[in-house]
Amino acid sequence: MIHVSDDIIIRTLARILVPFIQLYALYVIMHGHYSPGGGFQGGVILGASMVLLLITHGYGETKVRFSERGAVIFSSIGLLIYSGIGTLCLVFFGNFLDYGKLSTLLQVVPAHARSLGILGVELGVGFAVMAVMFSIFFDISTSGELPVDE
Amino acid sequence: MEVTLLVEAMDNSFRLMENAKTQAIELLNSAVRLTSETRAVEKKKFETIFTGAREARARVQNMIATFGILFVFWLVLSAKFDLFHLSLGVICSGVVTFMSHDLLFANVRVGDIRLMLWRFVTYIPWLLYQILLANFHVASLVLSPRMPIYPQVVCFKTKLESDMSWVTLANSITLTPGTITMDIREREFFVHALSKKVADDLSTGEMEDRVAHMYMEADHIYIQDVLDVAPIFGELRRTL
Amino acid sequence: MVMTTFFLGIGVGLCILVFFVLYRVVFGPGIFNRVAAISAIGTKTLVILLIIGYLYDRIDMFVDISMVYALLNFIGTLAVAKYLEMEGERK
Repeated sequence: MIHVSDDIIIRTLARILVPFIQLYALYVIMHGHYSPGGGFQGGVILGASMVLLLITHGYGETKVRFSERGAVIFSSIGLLIYSGIGTLCLVFFGNFLDYGKLSTLLQVVPAHARSLGILGVELGVGFAVMAVMFSIFFDISTSGELPVDE
Repeated sequence: MEVTLLVEAMDNSFRLMENAKTQAIELLNSAVRLTSETRAVEKKKFETIFTGAREARARVQNMIATFGILFVFWLVLSAKFDLFHLSLGVICSGVVTFMSHDLLFANVRVGDIRLMLWRFVTYIPWLLYQILLANFHVASLVLSPRMPIYPQVVCFKTKLESDMSWVTLANSITLTPGTITMDIREREFFVHALSKKVADDLSTGEMEDRVAHMYMEADHIYIQDVLDVAPIFGELRRTL
Repeated sequence: MVMTTFFLGIGVGLCILVFFVLYRVVFGPGIFNRVAAISAIGTKTLVILLIIGYLYDRIDMFVDISMVYALLNFIGTLAVAKYLEMEGERK
């Protein structure tokens, strides 16, 4: 399933669409509190864009941008961001994920600090979900061994 | 009468340009021969300098163009123009450009970008009109009681050169009801058409002409190109 | 008021058309008919989502949702087609 498609229409369309899909996924993550979206939805769309690149251009093109080792690193980074923000709130004498206490660090009013804290947490969730979606698709479709490009 | 004069003038101008090109090539060859090093080493040095500089400049141009297009797309998506969201847009566009900057403009294209954009904008209404006409025809085919369809596969060789024009033509054919592009193998299109009238409309080649005119390919005198170069017609006529 | 009834009528008509295509999904002999029918249902669902957005007067929210659905429909059909091609080669 992961090899270069021999249909030029699909190859051209996929390579034009992938940057727009990624930008749309980042838009969905950032505007989580104004319109439907948030961390998980944006992460799924980011993972879907990587899957599109995989099934049309093969593993060679995708390895340059986001390899399988990158998936492991990204999921850990996402988790680090999430629990890092939570622990930062603990350090400032609040509860876990009590974003109001971050206002002294960021020099803004507590309401704005809560908004920024939620944004950071959503970003972490988005990274982790993207890496996990990519990893699930990759492992199921190649059953463990790396694909050899013909 | 005017058309033959125009064609003669084009022939003369092409001949003049060919002569000028051969003279310039001869000059360059003699200049190379006059230096002390051998000709092969000179040519290789020139090539490596120019391809290296061209590649680096093309990559920077690609990144800037991709960043611009993605930022405009972000502005269209989120209609908020305060500083926080604009800076978020710049960061997100920068991240996506860094990851996929060689995807959008993979082929080098010669030609004026603004002219191609304007011709693209004027191509869309014609395509919509064709889709409207084909809609009526297919609806009349399907709703009649004996359903006179004659499905057939039309193969034709295309004169277009780059993959963007192939994909544009294939998508335009598929968008028009009654025809579906099945495959493109080595510049040959395989199109499945629903009835004889639709297949005849396809094999006149008008859509292919319009796509070639839009992407400025396929050295084939399209009547609009002749009208575009008409201003120099008077000049050439005086020198004949 | 007239526009609301007009769009409501169009939405109901599209839902009825979805039921016609659903026949092919259930009874289509073979997998290819089912895949093509699901892709057609996805196209109609897109327009129904936009009409619902207009009726609830929050069109900007529903445009986001319908764009996501169009994307996932496209990638899903492509992935199923790739899988069927691979299965055909292996057999």
